Amino acid sequence: MTITLPGTRTTDVRPVTARGGRPRRGRGTRSGKAGPVTYTLLTLTALVSIFPLYWTVVAGSHTNAELAATPPPFLPSASLFDNFAAALEQAPIGKAILNSVLVSGAITVGTVLFCTLAGFAFAKLQFRGRGVLLALVIGTMMVPTQLSVIPLFMMIADLQWVNQLQAVILPTLVSAFGVFFMRQYLISALPNELLEAGRVDGASTFRIFWSIVVPVARPAMAVLAMLTFLTAWNEFFWPLIALTTANPTVQVALAGLGSGYVPQQSVIMAGTLLGTLPVLVVFTILGKQIVGGIMQGAVKG
Amino acid sequence: MATVTFEQATRIYPRTERPAVDGLDLRIDDGEFLVLVGPSGCGKSTSLRMLAGLEEVDTGAIRIGDRDVTDSPPKDRDIAMVFQSYALYPHMTVEQNMGFALRLAGIGKAEIARRVAEAAAILDLSDYLQRRPRALSGGQRQRVAMGRAIVRSPQVFLMDEPLSNLDAKLRVQTRTQIAQLQRRLGTTTVYVTHDQVEAMTMGDRVAVLKDGLLQQCDTPGALYDRPANAFVAGFIGSPAMNLVTGPAVDGGVRLGSAVLPVPRDRLARASAGTGSVTVGFRPECLEAAAPGEGFPVVVDVVEQLGSDAFLYTRLPVGDTGEQLHSSDVVVRVEPRSAPPVGATVWLRGAAGGLHVFDPASQARVD
Repeated sequence: MTITLPGTRTTDVRPVTARGGRPRRGRGTRSGKAGPVTYTLLTLTALVSIFPLYWTVVAGSHTNAELAATPPPFLPSASLFDNFAAALEQAPIGKAILNSVLVSGAITVGTVLFCTLAGFAFAKLQFRGRGVLLALVIGTMMVPTQLSVIPLFMMIADLQWVNQLQAVILPTLVSAFGVFFMRQYLISALPNELLEAGRVDGASTFRIFWSIVVPVARPAMAVLAMLTFLTAWNEFFWPLIALTTANPTVQVALAGLGSGYVPQQSVIMAGTLLGTLPVLVVFTILGKQIVGGIMQGAVKG
Repeated sequence: MATVTFEQATRIYPRTERPAVDGLDLRIDDGEFLVLVGPSGCGKSTSLRMLAGLEEVDTGAIRIGDRDVTDSPPKDRDIAMVFQSYALYPHMTVEQNMGFALRLAGIGKAEIARRVAEAAAILDLSDYLQRRPRALSGGQRQRVAMGRAIVRSPQVFLMDEPLSNLDAKLRVQTRTQIAQLQRRLGTTTVYVTHDQVEAMTMGDRVAVLKDGLLQQCDTPGALYDRPANAFVAGFIGSPAMNLVTGPAVDGGVRLGSAVLPVPRDRLARASAGTGSVTVGFRPECLEAAAPGEGFPVVVDVVEQLGSDAFLYTRLPVGDTGEQLHSSDVVVRVEPRSAPPVGATVWLRGAAGGLHVFDPASQARVD
């Protein structure tokens, strides 16, 4: 390795670049394209991330004995579909998926809407007590779920909502984290002049929200929607308390699968796979909304 | 079409002592192009935002025509504003950007399309109507911002440094276009800038502000010829007026070793409080004189502009060693006969080019 002085840099580096066809460093700083190191790292990360999902498919198609063998099976088999059938028989998975879609969907829509509204207000509107209210909202994040479960259940029981979906939807229709998240995004992403332009153009505050703030906030709303949907879908503790196994969400239904003296791994895995598919669909749809550069061209050049 | 009147309008920002705009009294005629100019922090933008309804008026009143709009929201004021950053809606096309206000006002689609097309034709934007702001150049964005104001045919246009994000050449071009457009539309316009050249070239009248206080409001010519105080004198004109303060002596003011003649009555009134006098000369109102006549200066820098040359000179401190407030003197000379750096040149004031100010109050003395 020769020591390259700044002055001689070009003569030393050029031939290497020319021979290799691209810069030697993996991140390809010069051309902006990714190099082989980047690709290798990303491929590895992707494989590590995908493996659990793949293993669910493999495990869902083999019996306990086959899974315990050395070496374990690495390819799925056709008995996956038998295990789907078994899972659907053991628990009301179809109904659970429908319930979960309703619950998670409602929570997501509600959270994104209310958090964007509140986040906008905290970020850009001037009103008395703004700082105190925001501190209160953020303070609620410090209260552990376990602490609120009993009072919450008593309220739900008073409303006679036990075993009804609204018992799961209502308490999580807005989240402190979401409010804070949208506020932080809008503070930096939404220039005040854009709101003032809206006011001069004659828009009411709600119209400004709808026509200017929401389009600007779309990427953050998509992120919040993904996080919220995933959290709501995976929520187990509160649905287990508020609902019964006759009217469950996916996670509650899965908990009842493969029960017996020896749990049937394959049935549990097959059911889990069924319960995971809707999440994958939502991720594919929302991922497209996260686009950069939405604000480009709004202010300055 | 309407007049605009500020009556003792004052704005004090919360948690500050000094008003950002202090008792502003200003009347803008129907169809007039008024420029608010001043250094940063002088309150010019705040004044404009008060007129727009984006800033509260703490005391005083603002009228548009006969309507008192002091407490009206922006949408009820019948104004359109061009922002410094343009503030185009990023997710809307040029057409939607320009038509947004009309759509909110409940105007029919056909009428909106007609008015947008008309404004786009004026501003040479017809080919870009379906583009988003991010696909436009800086100059085009600026024109869209103008178009958004024009389509509404408001009573008053408000412009907050609309040219400050353009490059120098485009700025000069757009400056004339805006001025022409305003004459053509005949809409009362309030224009804010920190650039005194813009102010002088565009405005029917120019209002100079400093520290929230209106210094002078007059036509560009009058501001230039008869500045009301030393601040206006130094702010308007490029290069700036030479302002020199020196002790009053019999027959004039002493500058270094020489005495600059000042008419007796003006000298007496200007020096009444402090015993010294501030005198001002525009760079073009100084002319070369024979050695021994007028006052000598030493040339530091020669700035050749082709059509003109400016000498940046300093007054040699006299034998008496008196402190001079400002000892730099800028002179315009014929570019072909500019003296070399380091030379000593004798100057005298051209007839009628002398401005006299009271150093205590900074006010003009006639």
